[in-house]
This record gives sequence, C-alpha cells and structure tokens, in this order.
Amino acid sequence: MANLHRTSSLKRTQQRMAVLFILPALAVYALFVLYPLAMSLWGSFFIWKGLRMVEFAGLSNFSRLFVFPSGTRLYGALWHNTAWFFGIMVFQNGIGLLFAWLLFLRDRGAAFFQSVFFFPAVLSPVIVGALWRLLLAPGGVVEWALNGLGLHEGSLTVLGNSHTALGMLIAVDAWNWMGLPVLIYTAGLRQISGQIFEAAKLDGAGNARMLFSIALPLLMPALGTLTTLSFINTFNQFDIVYVVQGVQGNPSYATDTLVTYFYRLAFGAEGAVGITDIGLALALGTMLFLILSIGTLLMLRFFDRRTVQL
Amino acid sequence: MNALAIPNRTFSPRLERLPGWTVLILWAAAVLLPLYILVISCFKTTAEIYDNRLGLPLSWAFDNFVRAWTRADLGHNFINSLIVTGGAVILTIVVSAMAAYPLSRYRLGWNAIMLGLFLSGIMLPIRLASVELFTLMRNLGLLDSLTGLILVYSAIRIPFAVFIFANFMRVLPSELDEAARMDGAGEVRILFQIILPMVKPAVSIVAIFTAIAVWNDFFFPLIFIFDDRYKTVPLAISVFVGQFRTDWGLVFASLAISMAPILIMYCLLARQIREGVGAGGMK
Repeated sequence: MANLHRTSSLKRTQQRMAVLFILPALAVYALFVLYPLAMSLWGSFFIWKGLRMVEFAGLSNFSRLFVFPSGTRLYGALWHNTAWFFGIMVFQNGIGLLFAWLLFLRDRGAAFFQSVFFFPAVLSPVIVGALWRLLLAPGGVVEWALNGLGLHEGSLTVLGNSHTALGMLIAVDAWNWMGLPVLIYTAGLRQISGQIFEAAKLDGAGNARMLFSIALPLLMPALGTLTTLSFINTFNQFDIVYVVQGVQGNPSYATDTLVTYFYRLAFGAEGAVGITDIGLALALGTMLFLILSIGTLLMLRFFDRRTVQL
Repeated sequence: MNALAIPNRTFSPRLERLPGWTVLILWAAAVLLPLYILVISCFKTTAEIYDNRLGLPLSWAFDNFVRAWTRADLGHNFINSLIVTGGAVILTIVVSAMAAYPLSRYRLGWNAIMLGLFLSGIMLPIRLASVELFTLMRNLGLLDSLTGLILVYSAIRIPFAVFIFANFMRVLPSELDEAARMDGAGEVRILFQIILPMVKPAVSIVAIFTAIAVWNDFFFPLIFIFDDRYKTVPLAISVFVGQFRTDWGLVFASLAISMAPILIMYCLLARQIREGVGAGGMK
C-alpha cells in the first residue's frame, strides 16, 4: 500500500517536472519555428499591404502566382530546382557511390580520403561560392589552367553565360557536398556482412557485379536518406546562387531558384522598383512547403518499400 | 573496421587497383587544389595572384590579413559570429537535454506525441516562414540583435538535438536515476550530474553540428541584421565579394580567416564528424 502510494506520488512529481523540463525548449521552438510557419501558411490566403494582412483573399494569391508576370519566374525557378536535384543525384550521389565503393575495397587510406572529401561540406556555402566565383572568373585560375592545357581559348565566361551558369552552380554544389554521399554509403557498406561478398566472390562475381547486384540493393536505406536530403537541400537552394550570381539569379534569371524568387518577393528585390509582394511570397512559400512535405513523404515511402531485409 | 578488412585482400590484386586509386587521388586533388590556391593567394598581392598562379608567394606578406581584419572590419564580424555560435550551442544543449530527459526516461503517457512534435521540426523548411519570423522579431525588438539570432538558431536546432539526446538517454539503465532518487537527489541534479555526463557522445554530436550550422549560416543574418556592428562573418563575406571585387588578395584572406575556426575544429574532430555523419548526424 505504502509502495503504491509512493509510486503514484512519484508519477505526479514526474508529470510536474516533465512539464517544467520540456517548457523552455518547447517555448523557443514553438515561438520561433511553429508559430511563424503556421502564420505564413495561413497568411498566404490573405491580401497584404506591406507587412499588414488586409482581407481574406481565398486562393487569389495562388492564381496570381501561376500567371504572367509571376508565372514566368515561377516556372523558370521550378525548372532550375528540378534540374539541380537531378544534377546532384547523378553527379554527387552517383559519383559518390563510386568513391565509397572504391574506398570500401581498400583497407588503407579510407579515413584520409573520407576526411578530405568531406571537408568542403563543413564550410559555409558562402565561402564555397565566393571561392569558386574567384576561381571561375574571367582571368581566374581555371581560365588560366584551361588555356594553358589548350582546352580553351580566351576569356572564360561560364558564370556569365546563361547556358552554362546553372550547370556551374550545380557543379560547385556537388563539390561542396560530395563527402556526404561518400560517408553515408561507406557507413551503409560496412553494415553489410563480409560473408555476403565472400560468397559472391566464390561464385565468380566481379567488383562491378558485386556493387550493382549485391551492394546497391542493400544500400537502399542510404540511398533513400541521400535522395531525401538532396531533395530538401536543392529545393531550399539559396546561398550559392546569392553569392555567385546575386539575388536575381543572373545572368538574366538563368540561375533563379524558388527560394531566391521567394526572397525577392518577400524582402523587396523583385523588378526594377523593388516592391515587396507579401501575398505572393507567402503563396510561393506555401506551395514550396507542400512540394517539400509531399515529396519527402513519397520518397521515404518509396525507399522504405524497396529496403531489402536479410 | 573489421567488416571492411575481411573482404578486401581477396578482392583484387595490386595492379587492378591502380585506376581506382587514380580516381580517388584526382578527386582529392580537385578538393585540395582550390583550397591550396586560396591559402597561398592570401599572401600575394593581386598582381602576383595573376602572375604567379600556383607557386608559393614570393614573400609571405600578412598585409591582406591585416587589411581584412581591420579595414574591412572582419575582426568585428568574427567576434559576433563567435558570440552567436557559442550562445546557440549552449542554449540548444541545455534546453534540449532538459526536454529529452523526461521524454525518454519518464512514463508520462504523452511522450510519443511530444517527441513527434519536436521531431517534425527536423524537416520543416523554416526559411519559408521568414516573413512572419521577421514581423515577430521586429515586434519583440530582436532585429539587429545577436540575442535574436541565438534564439532563432536554437529554435531551429532544438528538434535535431532533442532527437539525438532522447536516443542516447533512452538506452541508459533505469537503475541509474532510481538509485540517485533513493539517495534524495533532485531531478535537476540527476539530469546534469548523472545523465548528461553519461551521454557525452550525444553532447559532442549536438555541439559540433550546431556549431557548424550556425557559424556557416548566411540567410538569417541577411534578413535580420542591417547594422554593420552586428553582422556575422558569412554576411560580411557576401558583401566583400562584391565590394572588393578587384582586390582578390583581400577577399582570399577574408575567406581564409572565416574558415579558420571550422578548419581547426575539423582537424581535431574529423573522426567524430565522419562517424556522426555516417550515423545520420548531418541534417
């Protein structure tokens, strides 16, 4: 009886303590993340005057978003983000798999190469962007090297050319984050039992065969993590574009992304006069929120189903 | 490491490995060469950067560093970044550990719901809320304020930190806090003197990844900070790149200064960082 009493009093104390312990984190998180996010979603259904909500507008912000003049920017940015995502999937997560496999096959040097490959990922995208802006500039070291090797003549204008600018940014982003797939794949490969590879080897499978028929299906969780992370990161892309090409996504909006467009609408750098259009910005934000959440959920489910259990 | 070592020797004889080594070394060069150019360019005049591309500087002049630190006032931005990063790391660790403790070790009946609420924040695209966040910060008087940045960064990093702490605390034996409770220790003491020292790896994961994310962030200073006195390093760098466009030596030096703390941390903690990322630590 006494014991029971003590248990229930402990339970009450614990409930009280739990509330006190959780409150600081919850308050900060709710005030600075959940509340503004909820208000942003809600506000996208209103007409705005400057930073003030005026009246309920239904879906009119959304319909404005998709037609001229906003439609041109929106579809352009949407296309750039999509291209960016697939570019990263191939050049970062694809080549990263090759690197991870090569490191896995070697018993020496793995830690060293992993550390080198991952280093750019701990740098700010601002530093990475600024560095590559200097290296790729006309008169920069890349121009000098390409001219010296006879691969290119004259001034290098890849950043100013609207056909190559987006590709360059994707390449810089892949350079920045290449270490991430390498580390995640390597961790995944190390969880696969060595006996599986031994057995395959005895059956006469070559390295390529082992990678694609045995390792890759077992790496589905790693691939799922990477695809989801790359999806979220590319659709939030802002820093590199801002630092290398400016907030307009130069040249002539060739590198404009959804978040740079959002930033211009929200903080006033869209068009010559630089007027903000909060209603439009919030509608874009809501749309992007939906793309990100639905996309993430679908990807997690997709990869969950393809996970091979051993 | 064992699983890695067993299959290796049997796979391929030495010569067959040569193309693989070449590929790996080429990418390592692609990573290290730009950083090498960055470092040597810091010591060169702009004219020398053009004339002597890959060679070591003719004389090791610290002029660019001095000018970046004083004339471009990077020193001031550096201190701001240190304050914001330190503040956000400490605040995040303290409040997240406090929240994770009851959520992972008490039987409250609502643990799962509350944990789910925190975890949903790991994926939330907070940048999209920046308009409302801006209004909120203005109303609270937190624009142009390092405290404001600390609060926003902590709020963003709390979900990840709670997740990590809860995972580590859940597996500790329950005798640990029960015995302490018998001895009359209060819950605050149990958390900070018994539980937290037992989950040191979690503390270091949270500290490392929060510090990297906060030190590198550019977006929130861009929208919340207007006064030069409160600018952080990445924001200042983004301005320099345009402002000192032709003064390459100065820009290279400021890039080097701004990555120095991260570089030092990386050299000291490369193994923890690699393992943390491999275990899903990096957002």
